[in-house]
Amino acid sequence: MRLSRQAWLLAKNDLRQELRDLELVATAGFFTLVVLVMFGLSFASLPLRAQPLAIPGMLWLAVAFVGALTLTRIFDRERESDTLRALLTAPVDRLAIYASKAAVTLVVLLGCCMVLVPGLSFLFPVAGVFAERPGTTAALVVLGCTAYAGVGTLFAAGLATSSGKNVLLSVILYPLTSPALMWSLVATRALLDGHPDLPTYLVQLAALDVLLLVLAGWLFESVLVGPGRSGTAARRARAAHRR
Amino acid sequence: MPTLVTPLELCGIGKRFGRLSVLRGVELRVDAGEVVGLIGANGSGKTTLLNIAVGLLSPSEGERRLGGDPAPEVGLEQRARIAFVTHTTQLYPRLSARENMVLFAELRAAAGAEVAPIDPLLERLGLLHAADRMVGTFSRGMMQRLALARALAGRPQLLLLDEPFTALDRPGRERLAEVLVQERAAGLAVLLSSHDYDAVVAVTDRVVLLEDGRLRGEVRRGKGADATGYRDRVAELGLLRPSVSLDIRQGEEAMHA
Repeated sequence: MRLSRQAWLLAKNDLRQELRDLELVATAGFFTLVVLVMFGLSFASLPLRAQPLAIPGMLWLAVAFVGALTLTRIFDRERESDTLRALLTAPVDRLAIYASKAAVTLVVLLGCCMVLVPGLSFLFPVAGVFAERPGTTAALVVLGCTAYAGVGTLFAAGLATSSGKNVLLSVILYPLTSPALMWSLVATRALLDGHPDLPTYLVQLAALDVLLLVLAGWLFESVLVGPGRSGTAARRARAAHRR
Repeated sequence: MPTLVTPLELCGIGKRFGRLSVLRGVELRVDAGEVVGLIGANGSGKTTLLNIAVGLLSPSEGERRLGGDPAPEVGLEQRARIAFVTHTTQLYPRLSARENMVLFAELRAAAGAEVAPIDPLLERLGLLHAADRMVGTFSRGMMQRLALARALAGRPQLLLLDEPFTALDRPGRERLAEVLVQERAAGLAVLLSSHDYDAVVAVTDRVVLLEDGRLRGEVRRGKGADATGYRDRVAELGLLRPSVSLDIRQGEEAMHA
Protein backbone atom coordinates (compact mmCIF):
# COMPACT_ATOMS: atom_id res chain seq x y z
CA MET A 1 0.00 0.00 0.00
CA ARG A 2 2.78 2.40 1.02
CA LEU A 3 4.85 1.46 -2.01
CA SER A 4 2.03 1.89 -4.51
CA ARG A 5 0.89 5.17 -2.91
CA GLN A 6 4.40 6.65 -2.94
CA ALA A 7 5.01 5.43 -6.50
CA TRP A 8 1.76 7.06 -7.60
CA LEU A 9 2.63 10.35 -5.85
CA LEU A 10 6.06 10.45 -7.51
CA ALA A 11 4.73 9.52 -10.95
CA LYS A 12 1.97 12.12 -10.61
CA ASN A 13 4.59 14.70 -9.66
CA ASP A 14 6.68 13.84 -12.75
CA LEU A 15 3.65 13.97 -15.04
CA ARG A 16 2.54 17.29 -13.56
CA GLN A 17 5.94 18.83 -14.27
CA GLU A 18 5.98 17.22 -17.70
CA LEU A 19 2.65 18.81 -18.55
CA ARG A 20 4.16 22.19 -17.63
CA ASP A 21 7.34 22.01 -19.71
CA LEU A 22 6.68 19.10 -22.13
CA GLU A 23 10.42 18.32 -22.20
CA LEU A 24 10.13 14.56 -22.60
CA VAL A 25 6.96 14.51 -24.66
CA ALA A 26 8.12 17.15 -27.13
CA THR A 27 11.53 15.53 -27.66
CA ALA A 28 10.17 11.99 -27.96
CA GLY A 29 7.14 13.08 -30.01
CA PHE A 30 9.07 15.04 -32.62
CA PHE A 31 11.67 12.31 -32.87
CA THR A 32 8.93 9.72 -33.49
CA LEU A 33 7.39 11.84 -36.23
CA VAL A 34 10.75 12.37 -37.92
CA VAL A 35 11.53 8.64 -37.81
CA LEU A 36 8.11 7.85 -39.24
CA VAL A 37 8.55 10.29 -42.12
CA MET A 38 12.02 8.88 -42.84
CA PHE A 39 10.68 5.33 -42.85
CA GLY A 40 7.89 6.45 -45.17
CA LEU A 41 10.29 8.12 -47.60
CA SER A 42 12.82 5.30 -47.54
CA PHE A 43 10.59 2.24 -47.62
CA ALA A 44 7.36 3.40 -49.31
CA SER A 45 8.07 1.31 -52.42
CA LEU A 46 9.02 -1.83 -50.48
CA PRO A 47 7.42 -4.94 -52.06
CA LEU A 48 4.49 -6.36 -50.10
CA ARG A 49 6.23 -9.64 -49.31
CA ALA A 50 9.24 -7.77 -47.84
CA GLN A 51 7.16 -5.55 -45.57
CA PRO A 52 6.57 -8.10 -42.77
CA LEU A 53 10.36 -8.42 -42.50
CA ALA A 54 10.98 -4.69 -42.28
CA ILE A 55 8.07 -3.36 -40.21
CA PRO A 56 8.98 -5.07 -36.88
CA GLY A 57 12.48 -3.62 -37.21
CA MET A 58 11.13 -0.11 -37.89
CA LEU A 59 8.76 -0.29 -34.90
CA TRP A 60 11.22 -1.57 -32.31
CA LEU A 61 14.17 0.43 -33.61
CA ALA A 62 12.10 3.57 -33.13
CA VAL A 63 11.10 2.39 -29.62
CA ALA A 64 14.76 1.72 -28.78
CA PHE A 65 15.84 5.23 -29.82
CA VAL A 66 12.89 7.03 -28.24
CA GLY A 67 13.49 4.96 -25.11
CA ALA A 68 17.17 5.92 -24.92
CA LEU A 69 16.24 9.57 -25.47
CA THR A 70 13.68 9.39 -22.66
CA LEU A 71 15.89 7.48 -20.25
CA THR A 72 18.75 9.96 -20.53
CA ARG A 73 16.33 12.64 -19.31
CA ILE A 74 14.10 10.75 -16.91
CA PHE A 75 16.17 11.70 -13.84
CA ASP A 76 17.00 15.22 -15.11
CA ARG A 77 14.53 16.94 -12.78
CA GLU A 78 16.08 15.20 -9.80
CA ARG A 79 19.63 15.80 -11.03
CA GLU A 80 19.05 19.45 -11.87
CA SER A 81 18.32 20.58 -8.34
CA ASP A 82 19.61 17.59 -6.38
CA THR A 83 16.10 16.54 -5.35
CA LEU A 84 17.17 12.92 -5.62
CA ARG A 85 19.05 13.40 -2.34
CA ALA A 86 15.91 14.82 -0.74
CA LEU A 87 14.02 11.70 -1.83
CA LEU A 88 16.79 9.41 -0.60
CA THR A 89 16.85 10.99 2.85
CA ALA A 90 13.05 11.15 3.17
CA PRO A 91 11.01 8.13 4.31
CA VAL A 92 10.42 7.13 0.70
CA ASP A 93 10.69 3.53 -0.44
CA ARG A 94 13.46 3.36 -3.09
CA LEU A 95 11.35 0.88 -5.00
CA ALA A 96 8.67 3.57 -5.29
CA ILE A 97 11.21 5.83 -7.02
CA TYR A 98 11.99 3.02 -9.45
CA ALA A 99 8.33 2.20 -10.08
CA SER A 100 7.44 5.84 -10.72
CA LYS A 101 10.29 6.43 -13.16
CA ALA A 102 9.64 3.17 -15.00
CA ALA A 103 5.94 4.07 -15.21
CA VAL A 104 6.64 7.53 -16.64
CA THR A 105 9.08 6.06 -19.18
CA LEU A 106 6.43 3.52 -20.14
CA VAL A 107 3.82 6.27 -20.58
CA VAL A 108 6.16 8.17 -22.93
CA LEU A 109 6.98 5.02 -24.93
CA LEU A 110 3.32 4.05 -25.23
CA GLY A 111 2.50 7.58 -26.32
CA CYS A 112 5.06 7.28 -29.12
CA CYS A 113 3.71 3.85 -30.09
CA MET A 114 0.26 5.42 -30.40
CA VAL A 115 1.77 7.51 -33.20
CA LEU A 116 4.10 4.85 -34.62
CA VAL A 117 1.64 1.98 -34.97
CA PRO A 118 -1.12 3.89 -36.84
CA GLY A 119 1.59 5.65 -38.84
CA LEU A 120 3.13 2.37 -39.98
CA SER A 121 -0.36 1.02 -40.77
CA PHE A 122 -0.99 4.08 -42.91
CA LEU A 123 2.34 3.84 -44.76
CA PHE A 124 2.53 0.07 -45.28
CA PRO A 125 -0.50 -2.04 -46.29
CA VAL A 126 0.82 -5.16 -44.50
CA ALA A 127 0.79 -3.30 -41.17
CA GLY A 128 -2.98 -3.08 -41.52
CA VAL A 129 -2.93 -6.19 -39.29
CA PHE A 130 -2.28 -3.83 -36.36
CA ALA A 131 -5.69 -2.26 -36.94
CA GLU A 132 -7.39 -5.61 -37.58
CA ARG A 133 -6.12 -7.08 -34.29
CA PRO A 134 -6.00 -4.09 -31.93
CA GLY A 135 -6.10 -6.14 -28.71
CA THR A 136 -3.14 -8.32 -29.67
CA THR A 137 -1.24 -5.32 -31.01
CA ALA A 138 -1.83 -3.39 -27.78
CA ALA A 139 -0.70 -6.37 -25.68
CA LEU A 140 2.44 -6.76 -27.77
CA VAL A 141 3.34 -3.07 -27.58
CA VAL A 142 2.65 -2.84 -23.82
CA LEU A 143 4.68 -5.98 -23.06
CA GLY A 144 7.61 -4.92 -25.26
CA CYS A 145 7.73 -1.38 -23.91
CA THR A 146 7.40 -2.59 -20.29
CA ALA A 147 10.47 -4.79 -20.67
CA TYR A 148 12.44 -1.91 -22.18
CA ALA A 149 11.34 0.63 -19.56
CA GLY A 150 11.89 -1.84 -16.72
CA VAL A 151 15.52 -2.56 -17.47
CA GLY A 152 16.27 0.92 -18.86
CA THR A 153 15.15 2.75 -15.72
CA LEU A 154 17.63 0.77 -13.66
CA PHE A 155 20.55 2.05 -15.70
CA ALA A 156 19.16 5.57 -15.95
CA ALA A 157 19.22 5.60 -12.13
CA GLY A 158 22.83 4.46 -12.10
CA LEU A 159 23.80 7.34 -14.34
CA ALA A 160 21.73 9.85 -12.37
CA THR A 161 24.10 9.34 -9.45
CA SER A 162 27.28 9.11 -11.50
CA SER A 163 29.01 11.86 -13.43
CA GLY A 164 26.14 12.23 -15.88
CA LYS A 165 27.91 10.60 -18.78
CA ASN A 166 24.76 9.83 -20.69
CA VAL A 167 26.69 8.26 -23.52
CA LEU A 168 27.33 5.35 -21.19
CA LEU A 169 23.61 4.74 -20.97
CA SER A 170 23.43 3.81 -24.60
CA VAL A 171 26.54 1.66 -24.39
CA ILE A 172 25.09 -0.27 -21.46
CA LEU A 173 21.43 0.01 -22.38
CA TYR A 174 21.35 -1.47 -25.85
CA PRO A 175 23.08 -4.76 -25.05
CA LEU A 176 20.91 -5.23 -21.95
CA THR A 177 17.63 -4.39 -23.64
CA SER A 178 18.45 -6.56 -26.64
CA PRO A 179 16.58 -9.64 -25.34
CA ALA A 180 13.42 -7.55 -24.79
CA LEU A 181 13.73 -5.93 -28.24
CA MET A 182 14.47 -9.25 -29.99
CA TRP A 183 11.51 -10.96 -28.37
CA SER A 184 9.23 -8.05 -29.25
CA LEU A 185 10.53 -8.10 -32.79
CA VAL A 186 9.90 -11.83 -33.21
CA ALA A 187 6.40 -11.51 -31.75
CA THR A 188 5.61 -8.58 -34.08
CA ARG A 189 6.79 -10.58 -37.06
CA ALA A 190 4.54 -13.45 -35.91
CA LEU A 191 1.61 -11.04 -35.66
CA LEU A 192 2.16 -9.73 -39.19
CA ASP A 193 2.60 -13.25 -40.59
CA GLY A 194 -0.41 -14.63 -38.73
CA HIS A 195 1.88 -17.21 -37.12
CA PRO A 196 0.04 -19.73 -34.85
CA ASP A 197 2.73 -19.46 -32.14
CA LEU A 198 2.01 -15.79 -31.47
CA PRO A 199 0.25 -16.46 -28.11
CA THR A 200 3.32 -18.43 -26.98
CA TYR A 201 5.59 -15.52 -27.91
CA LEU A 202 3.38 -13.12 -25.97
CA VAL A 203 3.44 -15.34 -22.88
CA GLN A 204 7.22 -15.57 -23.15
CA LEU A 205 7.42 -11.80 -23.48
CA ALA A 206 5.23 -11.41 -20.37
CA ALA A 207 7.52 -13.81 -18.49
CA LEU A 208 10.54 -11.75 -19.60
CA ASP A 209 8.77 -8.61 -18.31
CA VAL A 210 8.26 -10.19 -14.88
CA LEU A 211 11.86 -11.39 -14.76
CA LEU A 212 13.31 -8.01 -15.77
CA LEU A 213 11.06 -6.03 -13.43
CA VAL A 214 11.87 -8.25 -10.46
CA LEU A 215 15.59 -8.15 -11.22
CA ALA A 216 15.63 -4.39 -11.79
CA GLY A 217 13.55 -3.74 -8.66
CA TRP A 218 15.91 -5.90 -6.64
CA LEU A 219 19.03 -4.16 -7.93
CA PHE A 220 17.64 -0.61 -7.97
CA GLU A 221 18.56 0.47 -4.44
CA SER A 222 22.16 -0.67 -4.74
CA VAL A 223 22.46 1.01 -8.14
CA LEU A 224 20.95 4.25 -6.83
CA VAL A 225 22.63 4.46 -3.44
CA GLY A 226 25.50 2.02 -3.95
CA PRO A 227 26.80 -0.51 -1.48
CA GLY A 228 27.71 1.72 1.42
CA ARG A 229 27.76 5.02 -0.42
CA SER A 230 25.84 7.16 -2.81
CA GLY A 231 27.70 8.09 -5.96
CA THR A 232 26.80 11.75 -5.60
CA ALA A 233 27.78 11.95 -1.97
CA ALA A 234 31.03 10.12 -2.54
CA ARG A 235 31.90 12.32 -5.52
CA ARG A 236 31.20 15.45 -3.51
CA ALA A 237 33.29 14.21 -0.62
CA ARG A 238 36.24 13.52 -2.91
CA ALA A 239 35.86 16.90 -4.61
CA ALA A 240 35.67 18.70 -1.26
CA HIS A 241 38.77 16.92 -0.07
CA ARG A 242 40.71 17.85 -3.20
CA ARG A 243 39.82 21.52 -2.61
CA MET B 1 6.46 9.38 18.29
CA PRO B 2 8.46 9.46 21.54
CA THR B 3 11.22 12.05 21.89
CA LEU B 4 14.62 10.41 21.68
CA VAL B 5 17.11 11.28 24.40
CA THR B 6 20.13 10.94 22.12
CA PRO B 7 19.00 11.15 18.52
CA LEU B 8 22.53 10.86 17.12
CA GLU B 9 25.70 9.21 18.30
CA LEU B 10 28.72 8.67 16.10
CA CYS B 11 31.21 6.32 17.72
CA GLY B 12 34.73 6.11 16.29
CA ILE B 13 33.56 6.93 12.80
CA GLY B 14 36.06 6.59 9.98
CA LYS B 15 35.48 6.94 6.26
CA ARG B 16 37.75 6.04 3.38
CA PHE B 17 37.20 6.47 -0.35
CA GLY B 18 39.70 4.02 -1.77
CA ARG B 19 43.04 5.05 -0.27
CA LEU B 20 41.78 8.48 0.71
CA SER B 21 40.91 8.67 4.39
CA VAL B 22 38.36 11.45 4.91
CA LEU B 23 37.29 10.83 8.51
CA ARG B 24 39.19 9.22 11.37
CA GLY B 25 37.88 8.17 14.79
CA VAL B 26 35.15 10.79 15.04
CA GLU B 27 33.20 10.67 18.31
CA LEU B 28 30.16 12.93 18.38
CA ARG B 29 26.79 12.88 20.04
CA VAL B 30 23.89 15.27 19.71
CA ASP B 31 21.25 15.23 22.43
CA ALA B 32 17.63 16.27 22.21
CA GLY B 33 17.25 20.03 22.64
CA GLU B 34 20.87 20.69 21.69
CA VAL B 35 22.27 22.62 18.73
CA VAL B 36 25.80 21.57 17.82
CA GLY B 37 27.93 23.48 15.32
CA LEU B 38 30.47 21.73 13.15
CA ILE B 39 33.21 24.00 11.87
CA GLY B 40 36.29 23.30 9.79
CA ALA B 41 38.07 24.18 6.59
CA ASN B 42 36.92 23.02 3.16
CA GLY B 43 37.67 19.32 2.76
CA SER B 44 37.88 18.71 6.49
CA GLY B 45 35.10 16.13 6.25
CA LYS B 46 32.04 18.07 7.50
CA THR B 47 29.72 17.13 4.64
CA THR B 48 30.91 13.53 4.67
CA LEU B 49 30.14 13.37 8.38
CA LEU B 50 26.61 14.74 7.81
CA ASN B 51 26.10 12.30 4.92
CA ILE B 52 27.06 9.45 7.25
CA ALA B 53 24.73 10.74 9.94
CA VAL B 54 21.78 10.80 7.54
CA GLY B 55 22.63 7.45 5.96
CA LEU B 56 23.68 8.61 2.49
CA LEU B 57 27.09 7.15 3.24
CA SER B 58 28.05 4.20 5.38
CA PRO B 59 31.06 4.54 7.67
CA SER B 60 34.15 2.48 6.84
CA GLU B 61 34.67 2.00 10.56
CA GLY B 62 32.91 2.83 13.80
CA GLU B 63 29.24 2.80 14.67
CA ARG B 64 26.35 5.10 13.86
CA ARG B 65 23.61 5.11 16.52
CA LEU B 66 20.22 6.71 15.97
CA GLY B 67 17.88 7.07 18.92
CA GLY B 68 20.25 4.97 21.00
CA ASP B 69 20.14 2.00 18.63
CA PRO B 70 22.93 0.91 16.29
CA ALA B 71 22.00 1.88 12.73
CA PRO B 72 24.28 0.16 10.20
CA GLU B 73 21.63 1.06 7.61
CA VAL B 74 19.23 4.00 7.92
CA GLY B 75 15.81 2.57 7.18
CA LEU B 76 12.46 4.17 6.44
CA GLU B 77 11.46 4.46 10.10
CA GLN B 78 14.72 6.21 10.99
CA ARG B 79 14.58 8.47 7.95
CA ALA B 80 11.15 9.59 9.16
CA ARG B 81 12.85 11.05 12.27
CA ILE B 82 15.69 12.82 10.48
CA ALA B 83 15.66 15.88 8.23
CA PHE B 84 18.61 17.01 6.14
CA VAL B 85 18.91 20.46 4.60
CA THR B 86 21.90 21.28 2.41
CA HIS B 87 23.05 24.37 0.56
CA THR B 88 21.75 22.76 -2.64
CA THR B 89 18.13 23.31 -1.77
CA GLN B 90 16.81 20.09 -3.33
CA LEU B 91 13.52 21.61 -4.46
CA TYR B 92 11.65 21.12 -7.73
CA PRO B 93 11.90 24.50 -9.52
CA ARG B 94 8.84 23.84 -11.70
CA LEU B 95 6.57 23.26 -8.72
CA SER B 96 5.21 25.97 -6.47
CA ALA B 97 6.41 26.24 -2.88
CA ARG B 98 3.16 24.70 -1.66
CA GLU B 99 3.36 21.86 -4.21
CA ASN B 100 6.92 21.07 -3.09
CA MET B 101 5.76 20.97 0.53
CA VAL B 102 2.65 18.92 -0.23
CA LEU B 103 4.58 16.36 -2.28
CA PHE B 104 6.98 15.56 0.55
CA ALA B 105 4.21 15.76 3.17
CA GLU B 106 2.15 13.22 1.21
CA LEU B 107 5.17 10.95 0.73
CA ARG B 108 5.77 11.05 4.49
CA ALA B 109 2.12 10.48 5.28
CA ALA B 110 2.11 7.45 2.95
CA ALA B 111 4.96 6.03 5.03
CA GLY B 112 2.92 6.58 8.20
CA ALA B 113 5.21 9.40 9.40
CA GLU B 114 4.05 12.57 11.13
CA VAL B 115 3.37 15.70 9.11
CA ALA B 116 2.90 19.25 10.38
CA PRO B 117 0.37 21.66 8.80
CA ILE B 118 2.00 23.40 5.85
CA ASP B 119 0.63 26.95 5.85
CA PRO B 120 1.68 27.82 9.43
CA LEU B 121 5.21 26.64 8.60
CA LEU B 122 5.33 28.72 5.44
CA GLU B 123 4.14 31.70 7.43
CA ARG B 124 6.75 31.10 10.12
CA LEU B 125 9.51 31.10 7.49
CA GLY B 126 8.03 34.19 5.81
CA LEU B 127 6.95 32.41 2.63
CA LEU B 128 3.17 32.25 2.83
CA HIS B 129 2.81 35.19 0.44
CA ALA B 130 4.81 33.26 -2.16
CA ALA B 131 3.27 29.84 -1.52
CA ASP B 132 1.79 29.51 -5.00
CA ARG B 133 4.77 30.88 -6.89
CA MET B 134 7.06 28.55 -8.84
CA VAL B 135 10.19 27.81 -6.83
CA GLY B 136 12.29 28.54 -9.93
CA THR B 137 11.41 32.22 -9.48
CA PHE B 138 12.60 32.29 -5.85
CA SER B 139 15.82 33.86 -4.64
CA ARG B 140 18.41 31.50 -3.11
CA GLY B 141 17.51 32.75 0.33
CA MET B 142 13.82 31.99 -0.19
CA MET B 143 14.69 28.51 -1.45
CA GLN B 144 16.85 27.95 1.61
CA ARG B 145 13.97 28.93 3.88
CA LEU B 146 11.56 26.73 1.95
CA ALA B 147 13.94 23.77 2.28
CA LEU B 148 13.96 24.36 6.03
CA ALA B 149 10.16 24.59 6.11
CA ARG B 150 9.94 21.29 4.24
CA ALA B 151 12.35 19.72 6.71
CA LEU B 152 10.35 20.93 9.71
CA ALA B 153 7.09 19.74 8.15
CA GLY B 154 8.25 16.21 8.93
CA ARG B 155 8.45 17.01 12.67
CA PRO B 156 11.97 15.55 12.82
CA GLN B 157 13.79 14.67 16.02
CA LEU B 158 17.17 15.24 14.42
CA LEU B 159 17.86 18.09 12.00
CA LEU B 160 21.07 18.10 9.98
CA LEU B 161 22.00 21.37 8.27
CA ASP B 162 24.87 21.66 5.82
CA GLU B 163 25.86 25.32 5.36
CA PRO B 164 22.35 26.59 6.16
CA PHE B 165 23.36 30.25 6.24
CA THR B 166 24.66 30.23 2.67
CA ALA B 167 22.79 32.77 0.52
CA LEU B 168 20.75 34.10 3.44
CA ASP B 169 20.69 37.84 3.97
CA ARG B 170 20.74 39.30 7.46
CA PRO B 171 16.96 39.10 8.09
CA GLY B 172 17.00 35.57 6.69
CA ARG B 173 19.79 34.56 9.07
CA GLU B 174 17.98 36.11 11.99
CA ARG B 175 14.80 34.28 11.07
CA LEU B 176 16.67 30.98 10.75
CA ALA B 177 18.37 31.55 14.11
CA GLU B 178 14.98 32.34 15.67
CA VAL B 179 13.43 29.16 14.26
CA LEU B 180 16.35 27.03 15.45
CA VAL B 181 16.10 28.47 18.96
CA GLN B 182 12.35 27.73 19.02
CA GLU B 183 12.87 24.19 17.74
CA ARG B 184 15.63 23.57 20.24
CA ALA B 185 13.26 24.60 23.01
CA ALA B 186 10.79 22.05 21.65
CA GLY B 187 13.43 19.31 21.96
CA LEU B 188 14.85 19.15 18.45
CA ALA B 189 18.46 18.01 18.13
CA VAL B 190 20.39 19.98 15.50
CA LEU B 191 23.81 19.39 13.96
CA LEU B 192 24.87 22.16 11.59
CA SER B 193 28.01 22.78 9.62
CA SER B 194 29.01 26.29 8.65
CA HIS B 195 31.88 28.62 7.88
CA ASP B 196 29.93 31.51 9.32
CA TYR B 197 31.23 31.76 12.89
CA ASP B 198 28.93 34.61 13.90
CA ALA B 199 25.87 32.66 12.85
CA VAL B 200 27.17 29.49 14.50
CA VAL B 201 27.86 31.31 17.75
CA ALA B 202 24.38 32.82 17.72
CA VAL B 203 22.50 29.52 17.61
CA THR B 204 24.69 26.75 19.02
CA ASP B 205 25.19 25.28 22.48
CA ARG B 206 28.42 23.61 21.48
CA VAL B 207 30.88 23.90 18.63
CA VAL B 208 33.27 21.20 17.47
CA LEU B 209 36.17 21.67 15.09
CA LEU B 210 36.82 19.08 12.41
CA GLU B 211 40.29 19.18 10.93
CA ASP B 212 41.73 16.68 8.45
CA GLY B 213 38.94 14.28 9.31
CA ARG B 214 39.49 14.36 13.06
CA LEU B 215 37.65 16.22 15.82
CA ARG B 216 40.30 18.58 17.20
CA GLY B 217 38.46 20.64 19.74
CA GLU B 218 35.20 21.56 21.35
CA VAL B 219 33.77 24.68 22.97
CA ARG B 220 30.62 24.66 25.08
CA ARG B 221 28.41 27.63 25.76
CA GLY B 222 28.77 28.24 29.46
CA LYS B 223 26.22 29.54 31.89
CA GLY B 224 26.17 33.07 33.29
CA ALA B 225 29.44 34.95 32.84
CA ASP B 226 30.91 32.18 30.66
CA ALA B 227 28.32 32.80 27.95
CA THR B 228 29.94 36.12 27.04
CA GLY B 229 33.22 34.41 26.30
CA TYR B 230 31.61 31.80 24.02
CA ARG B 231 32.14 33.84 20.86
CA ASP B 232 35.81 34.47 21.68
CA ARG B 233 36.47 30.82 22.46
CA VAL B 234 34.77 29.68 19.22
CA ALA B 235 36.77 32.23 17.24
CA GLU B 236 39.94 31.05 18.96
CA LEU B 237 39.10 27.42 18.19
CA GLY B 238 38.34 28.10 14.56
CA LEU B 239 40.55 30.95 13.45
CA LEU B 240 43.75 30.03 15.22
CA ARG B 241 43.86 26.63 13.62
CA PRO B 242 46.35 26.69 10.71
CA SER B 243 44.14 24.90 8.18
CA VAL B 244 41.17 27.16 8.81
CA SER B 245 43.17 30.37 8.66
CA LEU B 246 44.87 29.04 5.53
CA ASP B 247 41.49 29.18 3.80
CA ILE B 248 41.12 32.83 4.78
CA ARG B 249 44.63 33.65 3.57
CA GLN B 250 43.97 31.87 0.26
CA GLY B 251 40.75 33.84 -0.12
CA GLU B 252 42.58 37.12 0.51
CA GLU B 253 45.35 36.21 -1.94
CA ALA B 254 42.79 35.34 -4.56
CA MET B 255 41.07 38.68 -4.04
CA HIS B 256 44.32 40.60 -4.44
CA ALA B 257 45.56 38.57 -7.43
